[in-house]
Amino acid sequence: MMQKKICMLGAFAVGKTSLVARYVRSVFSDRYLTTVGVKVDKKIVTLEDGGETTLMLWDLYGHDDFQTVRTSYLRGAAGYLLVADGTRQQTLEVARALQQTAHDVVGNVPFVLVLNKADLESEWQVDERALVRIAEQGWPIMRTSAKTGAGVEDAFSRLARDMAIA
Amino acid sequence: MTEAAVRLPDEEPETGSPPGAFAELRTLIVGPEQRQLRALQARLNDPGRQAQDVSDVLPEAVLLRRRDPHLTRALAPTIEEAITASVRKNPQPLADALFPVIGPAIRRAMAASLSSMLESLNRTVEYSLSWRAIKWRITALLTGRPFAEVVLLNTLVYRVEQVLLIDRRTGLLLQHVASDPRAIQDPDMVSGMLTAIRDFSRDSFRVAEEDALDTLRVGELSIWIEQGPYAILAAVIRGTPPRELRVAFQEAIERLHAFHGDALQSFDGDTAPFDSVRPTLEDCLQSQYHQAPARSFRRLWAIAALVLVAIGAWLYVTLDRRARWNGYVDALRREPGLVVLSDRRDGGRYAVRGLRDPLARDPASLLAAHGLVPDRVTGSWQLYQALDPPLVLARARQLLRPPAGVSLQYAAGVLSATGNAPAEWIVDSSRVAPALPGVTRFDASAAIAERSSALADAIQSTPILFERGSTKLIAESERSLARALETLRTLDALARVGQRRVPLEIRGHADADGPVESNIPLSLRRAEFVRGVLAVPDLPAVDLRVTAAGSSDPAATGATEQDKQRNRRVSLRVGPAVAADASGR
Repeated sequence: MMQKKICMLGAFAVGKTSLVARYVRSVFSDRYLTTVGVKVDKKIVTLEDGGETTLMLWDLYGHDDFQTVRTSYLRGAAGYLLVADGTRQQTLEVARALQQTAHDVVGNVPFVLVLNKADLESEWQVDERALVRIAEQGWPIMRTSAKTGAGVEDAFSRLARDMAIA
Repeated sequence: MTEAAVRLPDEEPETGSPPGAFAELRTLIVGPEQRQLRALQARLNDPGRQAQDVSDVLPEAVLLRRRDPHLTRALAPTIEEAITASVRKNPQPLADALFPVIGPAIRRAMAASLSSMLESLNRTVEYSLSWRAIKWRITALLTGRPFAEVVLLNTLVYRVEQVLLIDRRTGLLLQHVASDPRAIQDPDMVSGMLTAIRDFSRDSFRVAEEDALDTLRVGELSIWIEQGPYAILAAVIRGTPPRELRVAFQEAIERLHAFHGDALQSFDGDTAPFDSVRPTLEDCLQSQYHQAPARSFRRLWAIAALVLVAIGAWLYVTLDRRARWNGYVDALRREPGLVVLSDRRDGGRYAVRGLRDPLARDPASLLAAHGLVPDRVTGSWQLYQALDPPLVLARARQLLRPPAGVSLQYAAGVLSATGNAPAEWIVDSSRVAPALPGVTRFDASAAIAERSSALADAIQSTPILFERGSTKLIAESERSLARALETLRTLDALARVGQRRVPLEIRGHADADGPVESNIPLSLRRAEFVRGVLAVPDLPAVDLRVTAAGSSDPAATGATEQDKQRNRRVSLRVGPAVAADASGR
């Protein structure tokens, strides 16, 4: 069976862990995130061609003013999810910065920009024009809600598919 | 060859142009290409030729794409269906093909399983009879753990429980083996977190790549990590492993890189190529247990020997006591006058119950001969009179008290007396003896005969002398005749006891002084006189007979007065006793 390592990247409190929790049933405690800075989960996905791939999800502690992402955790990743909070514009900027960091470490591997908290549409702050510009750079963008589960499966499936054909 | 000669027969001349010139020009310019195109078209339209062409390049094409997961996924359904159809049609070819692979695999799995089972069994048996084992069984009861597990934990030096081969770059699990597959958490995630922790420690302490974390310890578990250029080997060990084990792990990771370096270097997420590394990893599943001290076996043997000796001694004592008791009871049964009705043993005490003749031997006197202590034996004896000959005889002696010189014998119900017995004793005994149990008859004939003979001698020697020419006794002879009468009474009594009759001849004598004719009547009168004295009623068994000898049978032949006095007499002669008839006559 194929295995792929994917990382969850994003600013602090954008909902990375909630997205993973929506996607898999965790074995390890979330306390690992604040101690070791990462928590590993596993999800087996079935691709369109019928093949199965095991996704090892490395949920990295959120990037904030006090702690930066440990780049060593990115090493060997076959793809990653850049998670931003749609109700906080600055998290999109953090995502852009993290994408550059990830690119420096793992190179040009598939990734998906996920705008989380889509259920809070009334509080949406992300500039749509900025999104258009990002899309024009070829970034796949998807909207998710860890609260309702909307778009979560699709986001991971999309990344898995992109990794499979990469 | 002319240009026209190379024109193809199916080519049509173009309209509005000189047909020959165009065709010729075209033939000259693109003729070879046209022919190649037509040949190519014909080839493409030929399915058989296409198949031939594909078959020519197919092996190389598959080889070129062997690392492409898309090819694997594309081929998988077809191959699966083909295998399924083949098995349904005839499973034998596939079974034959897999036999060389599956046979060794099954044997290896069975050998490993049996080895593990035997090891566990050995440990369980080895420790099942010791004091420690009892303590461990209590621990197992209190904790609810299986006994074998408690034994394992207490005898374990170390055991490699899991070995993980992890891609060093991605932290993905390449292969994994475990001594007990049931006790494994998800090794994929363990692999990932282990890699993350290594990265974390390396980043935190800013150490070089090759100085990464190589040991973790959690409770009884240690995790030893050996890294190679492309992969790391992580072993989860319970207990205290020796340093030499790390060398074994280093050799394993080196061997893996030597034989699978390319696969490790080019790992892209497909773990299938690493199925073949399982034997190398399984070699790392080593373990060591405390050996049971040999002296515990010696102690065990010593205890067993002591137990056997104790059992043997107990058996010996028990059997010896039983034999002695049985011997004692048999002796009681053989003893005259003792009848054993029952006997029993209760622990170390014995009891016997029965009948005992008062004259029989005391049962307690037999105990010592059989090594029995009187304190431990209880006898309950009821008195009775036994008819055993010795006891009948003893009882007769006790009752009759035979005088010295008299002996008693007993046989077939007849009590016999022999020897020189007083007539009174004979008479009394003959009256009492038949009343004794077991005595049907008292035979005193021998004693009677002996005593009667003496009495007869005494009677016959009694001097009964008369005065001259008279039937008057001289003074001394009156007393002699009185004693003869008493003796005769005794003889009579004995004769009656013996159911006999005693003939007594009273013979009269005279001296030779007077005429012969007168001496006969005188001697007769003298005899009659004596008969008159002896003819008393209490001599019923004595038959008196009177005879007269005159002077023909003198006691003395001399001519002196003394000789003549001796001839003026009556002599008494006791004849042989004869049996009395039923009336006593």
